[in-house]
Amino acid sequence: MSSSSSSSGGGGKALRGSNSDPDAAADATRSFEAISESYEELFAADEVGEKAPCYLPHIIIMSGGLDEEAQYHPHISAAEVCSADGEDAAAASRVGVKALPSNGSEKEDSNDEEVAAEFSTIRLSAESDEDVSEPFLEVPLSQSGSSGGTSGYVAGSGSSPASVSSVSGLEEIGDAIAENGCRDDHNLQAANWIPGKRHPDEDDASPSWRGHKKHFLILSNAGKPIYSRYGDENRLAGFSATIQAIMSFVQNSGDCIQSIRAGNHQIVFLVKGPIFLVSICATEEPIQALQRQLELLHGQLLLLLTKAVDKCFEKNSKFDMRPLLGGTDVVFSSLVHAFNWNFTTFLHAYTCLPLPYTARQAAGAALQDVADSGVLFALLMCGSKVISIVGPRKASLHPDDFLLLSNFVSSSDSFRRTETFSPICLPCYNPTAFLYAYVQYLEADTCLVLITTKSDGFFHLKECRARIENILRDSCVLHEISSSILRGGLHVEDLVRIGADSQAVNDRTGKTSEQDGRFCFSGPVTQAMQKVSITGGPAGLWHFIYKSTYLNQYVASEYAAPLHTLAKQKRLFKTYQRLHASMHNESASFHKMQYRRDENYVLLSWRTSDFELYAAFDPLAEKNTAISVCNQICQWLRDLESEIFLLEPTAFGCQVFFHSATRILMLEHCLTLLFRELEVDQHSQLCIGNISYSYLPEV
Amino acid sequence: MATSLQQPLQLCMFDMTRGQQDGQELDKILFFYPLECPLPLQLSVIGLSEGLITFSRIFSSDAPCEVMEAERHSHIFYQCEPEIWMIMVVEKSKEAESSIRPRALQMVLKEVHGLFTMFYGSVRALLQNYPSEDVARSCLYAFFPDYISSEFMNGKKLKLPSVKESLTERGTVQSLSFDRHALLEAQSLVNLLKSWLGGGTIRHVLILYHNHLVSSSLPAGDTARLFVYALLRMTPSVIARSSAHSSSRLFSFKGYGSPAKTNAESMQNNNDESLNTPASSRDTSPVGQRGKPQVPRPLLQDAWSRDPDGFLSTDAWGAGARGGSAVIPSIWLQQSEERMQMVAYQHKALTLLMLLPTNASVGGVEGLSLLRQQLLEKAVQKIEKLELTLTREWGGTNSSHVPGYRYLYCDLNNKMSRSSPPAKVSTLSKDSLIALNSVRTEVDLEISRAERNDNGAGRDLEFCVRAHNNSWVAVRARDGHELYLVLERASDTLLLASEAVEKFNKRYCDGRFASD
Repeated sequence: MSSSSSSSGGGGKALRGSNSDPDAAADATRSFEAISESYEELFAADEVGEKAPCYLPHIIIMSGGLDEEAQYHPHISAAEVCSADGEDAAAASRVGVKALPSNGSEKEDSNDEEVAAEFSTIRLSAESDEDVSEPFLEVPLSQSGSSGGTSGYVAGSGSSPASVSSVSGLEEIGDAIAENGCRDDHNLQAANWIPGKRHPDEDDASPSWRGHKKHFLILSNAGKPIYSRYGDENRLAGFSATIQAIMSFVQNSGDCIQSIRAGNHQIVFLVKGPIFLVSICATEEPIQALQRQLELLHGQLLLLLTKAVDKCFEKNSKFDMRPLLGGTDVVFSSLVHAFNWNFTTFLHAYTCLPLPYTARQAAGAALQDVADSGVLFALLMCGSKVISIVGPRKASLHPDDFLLLSNFVSSSDSFRRTETFSPICLPCYNPTAFLYAYVQYLEADTCLVLITTKSDGFFHLKECRARIENILRDSCVLHEISSSILRGGLHVEDLVRIGADSQAVNDRTGKTSEQDGRFCFSGPVTQAMQKVSITGGPAGLWHFIYKSTYLNQYVASEYAAPLHTLAKQKRLFKTYQRLHASMHNESASFHKMQYRRDENYVLLSWRTSDFELYAAFDPLAEKNTAISVCNQICQWLRDLESEIFLLEPTAFGCQVFFHSATRILMLEHCLTLLFRELEVDQHSQLCIGNISYSYLPEV
Repeated sequence: MATSLQQPLQLCMFDMTRGQQDGQELDKILFFYPLECPLPLQLSVIGLSEGLITFSRIFSSDAPCEVMEAERHSHIFYQCEPEIWMIMVVEKSKEAESSIRPRALQMVLKEVHGLFTMFYGSVRALLQNYPSEDVARSCLYAFFPDYISSEFMNGKKLKLPSVKESLTERGTVQSLSFDRHALLEAQSLVNLLKSWLGGGTIRHVLILYHNHLVSSSLPAGDTARLFVYALLRMTPSVIARSSAHSSSRLFSFKGYGSPAKTNAESMQNNNDESLNTPASSRDTSPVGQRGKPQVPRPLLQDAWSRDPDGFLSTDAWGAGARGGSAVIPSIWLQQSEERMQMVAYQHKALTLLMLLPTNASVGGVEGLSLLRQQLLEKAVQKIEKLELTLTREWGGTNSSHVPGYRYLYCDLNNKMSRSSPPAKVSTLSKDSLIALNSVRTEVDLEISRAERNDNGAGRDLEFCVRAHNNSWVAVRARDGHELYLVLERASDTLLLASEAVEKFNKRYCDGRFASD
């Protein structure tokens, strides 16, 4: 984020920011009514006319003490943002100063401003320069669930000291290390991941800027820079113009440029209406993954502004979008950062916090309770992990929407401190309209998000939150959540323990038990598994990802030795990306199974209509043991399914998914006979008691 | 600029050091196909390519643009000589089987440039030796269309490389493993030929049997290029086809002026004058040797014919200076950097290519007739015997077939490859070929990445992929050796498939890829 001096705002009356001055807060309360009266539906602005800019409310209520004293944070009016001294307004907003609407008295002169009047910017409050570093620095090494982390989720419990949690702050530090060009530095304590823009003083003439491994650029089709991961957008105007020239040149010939490969570098282009997105990187990621990252970046842009920006470009091709995005550098930088560690970014699936089935059911019930009262989506999440989601029957929350929303929420520190009501857009749900999200952290990392279509739903959602919070506290769900955070996720070495525990090779009745606070599995073990443990888990298993196709959810094991360094974790992440891209090749209809060996890993991936499994082994691992371990993983996860996945509730209770290949083989025959006997349609479900079976002919 | 790229294939060569001033842009275009393409479109394609190269150099100065993918076209870049670029623009088709991996297309560019250099010397040398660039252009305009029509034209339709070629490797020599006895015989024949006329007159000998190389004394690169050429124009089957057509042509540069004319007549000021300027000391081109504007067209259809005495003759290098006998064909060897005259002899399925230095004591028409006579007198018996031995050993066109496998094995260090016969490869289902193509695309990337980043150490890779149609695609790569296998036995498990690969490896690749 570019630093700029604070001023008292571009126009109108300014309010003090959220968390320092109680008087100002009271002030804000007083002005609250006035604002809600002047508030207009966002896209009604067209009818309202140019002189009546609309305002979006951004309510922030002090979570401690000032319970009933709502402090109102309207978005900066578009007029102010785009006015001649818009820079000052933006700067003011960053230091927590929120401007009052000036009752439409601001005279707007330029074309840009008129167009921009349709918008209200999303301002992340309380991002004063002095605030920026403070909360982020305390994240990293404190493993206690109570400390506030940027990414929200502090996993990796004390029970496995060697393990570095996949989603903890440590990863983010690792990114910073790599990004800063000192990749071999494994001194974790020494590095800090600083959100927001880095190297703001660089431009395309500086060798250091050229040397960054991964650039992201967003520009308008007129060549105006909108966002650059590194460097100052203003100084990159010439560079943007070059890119625009290339892209337009190809467009004029009736084609559309997609990618360039040059040595270790790949340049990927994406055209989204009037917005061009470009990634330039030397990170060995497959082009498909980079394209997807650009899609997500565009999605993040939509989440902030909706698709209506396109209209602005239609009206004025030289429209400057940057003021609308002022202060959101941190959102983009955290998303770009997620491209390095969050499997959701390429799997098209989200992951859940492991939780006992009953606890998750209770959480779901609590959310369901409010869902009927005008709440569109109710989410309980922990950083990037889902605890429960409840939505309308016919539309589920798209994993990408969840990723973008959770990134938006967790990247901004103000959500963490206060109760917030903010307009957002869920691009996969509806890219053209704003929804309104009520965000409140219930515990250190546990966050409740309630989404409504009503712009005035704040107080209702506040009540809903209180109700949900009470239920969750009373039913000890919050307690379960924090102990799950302490426990961490799945550990590959637990598959070894299974081997030690179990003698019965053919015993197929695996049971889940909790030992030492971790999920353990006692079940069948092959002899091959028992004898090997090279490094990591059984048969040299280092890591795995399992994605359930039906549920759109995945589960990944925690990183453990020998994947204890960040460089190794990043390398594996990129290897997974390539493997995933290969399994989902567009030109070839997808592959079913793949075995790969190189000097770094043995990789196995397996894709059926039910699930996808990606597993990484020691490069010396043997094929047959690796295969049997993969079978074990599938079986293990099937047994844990109700705890690691959010199973969609059905009318009959729980739906059982048979994932393990061995079980399928066993059951397929019986079920086929049964279905034939019952003369049911092959695609229908069979309900016996409170369990429903689906017949899947492909299996 | 509203230009539309309608052609399924565009191929061009340009020099980035030329035409940097406004108004001189045409100067940089050395060659453009299709020949009738309007100049503005030519300039736009080259301008874009130049822009992309300059742009990608910002980030990757040592390895600029290789491939540009657009929605409807693939642009393949190849820097054939310093600052001289070849670009191939291929229209993408909706059918998955027609889009082949970029590396295969790049190999096409590499091959055509390699062949060009073999006949004419490097483009840069042509440009330097004849400062007004017409000579280089006329050579390019004479050679490239011939190559394109012989490689990509199926009748009048353009047929671009497709996934069907996934089990071939351009730029390598198809070898057959003959037994020791036959190879010794071949070697003794080579030694005999080389010993004649005081030794060293016949510098190199290449022996081919049908479409396979038996023996070569040339370095790998030159062998591969000459082999590709022999395959295109000199094998017994090609000669048999060409003798069916009549062949009496005279190829003068002027007679083939149409493409050059379309290409900026203004720049082609005076051909004869430029050709008459004395060549500089290191003349690699055959063009300047004669005082006449004649450009060899070695890739012309039916370039070679077989004389009754078994020697192959050609007039593709043009008629002699005195208008009499044809010019003796000559080629430029890249490794040793010298020009050689080529004499070819064919007996049934056996083809002998003999290379003599241009300054050999037996040079000229008289010297060669002496050589011919000697060969007919002293070596024919040996040649016939070798032919018999090879025929006995050779198992027919499907001799390289291994039942149950479709394979390609390449030794890229020696530019050799062995593969399933095309007839057998064509039995593979489309899905298998597409899967193979996509796996090869990835392997290409992995290997080129390793080549760039590693300190010379080769990459050790193993892939085993089960495709959508249940066939297995297996890849092994180690130290410049690559093995690609397709197994279409649906019921196999990964373990069985790997076992089959291992078996193949032990039996046909000397266990080179053994995993332990």
